[in-house]
Amino acid sequence: MQLNSRAYQVDDLMAAQELYHSNGWTDGLPVVPPTEGAVKACLEWAGMAPDQIIGIETVREQAVTAEKVAINAVMAGCLPMHFPVVVSAWQGMLKEEFLVHGTTSSTGGCAVLVIINGPIRREIGASGGFNALANSDRATACIGRAIRLGLINILDVRPGGIDRSTLGHPGKFSYCIAEDEEDTTWTPLGESRGIRKGVSSVTVMAAMGPRQLMNEWTHAPEEILETFAAEMRASQRHYSIYGGNQVVVIPKQLRDILQTAGWSKADIGRFLYERARIKRKEWADVGKGAVVRDRGESVYTALDAPESCLVVAAGGPAGGFGAVIAPWMGHKTKAVTVPIGACVDCGPEEKKA
Amino acid sequence: MTIRVLDPTNEAAPPAGQPAQRLISLRGTTIGFVSNGKEGAKEFFTHLGRMLETEHGVAKVVHRVKSNYSAPADKHIVDEMRSWHAVVTGIGD
Repeated sequence: MQLNSRAYQVDDLMAAQELYHSNGWTDGLPVVPPTEGAVKACLEWAGMAPDQIIGIETVREQAVTAEKVAINAVMAGCLPMHFPVVVSAWQGMLKEEFLVHGTTSSTGGCAVLVIINGPIRREIGASGGFNALANSDRATACIGRAIRLGLINILDVRPGGIDRSTLGHPGKFSYCIAEDEEDTTWTPLGESRGIRKGVSSVTVMAAMGPRQLMNEWTHAPEEILETFAAEMRASQRHYSIYGGNQVVVIPKQLRDILQTAGWSKADIGRFLYERARIKRKEWADVGKGAVVRDRGESVYTALDAPESCLVVAAGGPAGGFGAVIAPWMGHKTKAVTVPIGACVDCGPEEKKA
Repeated sequence: MTIRVLDPTNEAAPPAGQPAQRLISLRGTTIGFVSNGKEGAKEFFTHLGRMLETEHGVAKVVHRVKSNYSAPADKHIVDEMRSWHAVVTGIGD
């Protein structure tokens, strides 16, 4: 296997760090030096040639090759077995409806959220338990970081360069979660979005930071979900009024109540679609009256459809907490789900919201 | 012992665009404005358009708005541009 990237000879580990930092090739944290051996190991694990094109960023006409994705994955700390997840995430991000250039260059700083489903979670040790959404385990931490490093280096998404974010959020270091499929009766997210049962998948979404909420004082499903709806309405008022995908992370304590009462993910989506909506005139309450105009009675839903609600079973076993993750600018980007597999030329199934 | 490490960047530069031919004069021309659709662009481009007509002899000003402020201009706008002498675009955050 012949790699095509330019190589640099450095004296030691510290010299490698300085080379990468001084060239603007990092996220500010130390990186694992991407040696030829480590990069080849990733490519061989996935059965990919170095020059295999994973996709094209069409606005700047940039091809994304397997070799460059592998180099950045190694830098992020990925093991070869993590690499197929990173590749699939890139395939999703490079779908037209994801709008990768717009979402990564926008002043409305968002991060790419990666959601992992299927058997691969257990193979790579991706946990959907304690401290989900933040360094719960090595696999999700490294995979999420690989996406950001890849954006920085392959698509030039550096702060002040292509990345024009006014404010970012901590998910721009790493933003990856695995669904806790073993501890739920719900259909895994990937399967609910068209991936065949038992096939691993990754869902990517251009996402704002997670907003935690708490309701430990009821066993009524409607009341629990009303708390989630309230967070969505709040976001519509102070961030973007437009509906799109919304990720709803439901840990075990609240999940058990909903499951016992017979609520499915689809039921939750329908409920939140009905309840999470505001009238445009509410913008006047939060200082945005100038753009209400004659559309004060117009109704805006936080979800553009019930099935745009991406319910994820994850989180530690105790605590009546949950999280809502709003999309970057409503429907202007779409979450994308793709199957994870070594073969990327054989027409993978895909499902979009 | 030295370490041999690899360049993580794309290395291949994106295709370079070519600047359009400059106009010698604005007099009698059709000038298009393509707004990203944000509130700030509306007044600014309207004002600029008026200035072009009243102070620089522009014959016609056309205003168009992208359907998604973070995506490239819609195809019908790009097609229409071919009938303009020049186009002004920008963001209005």
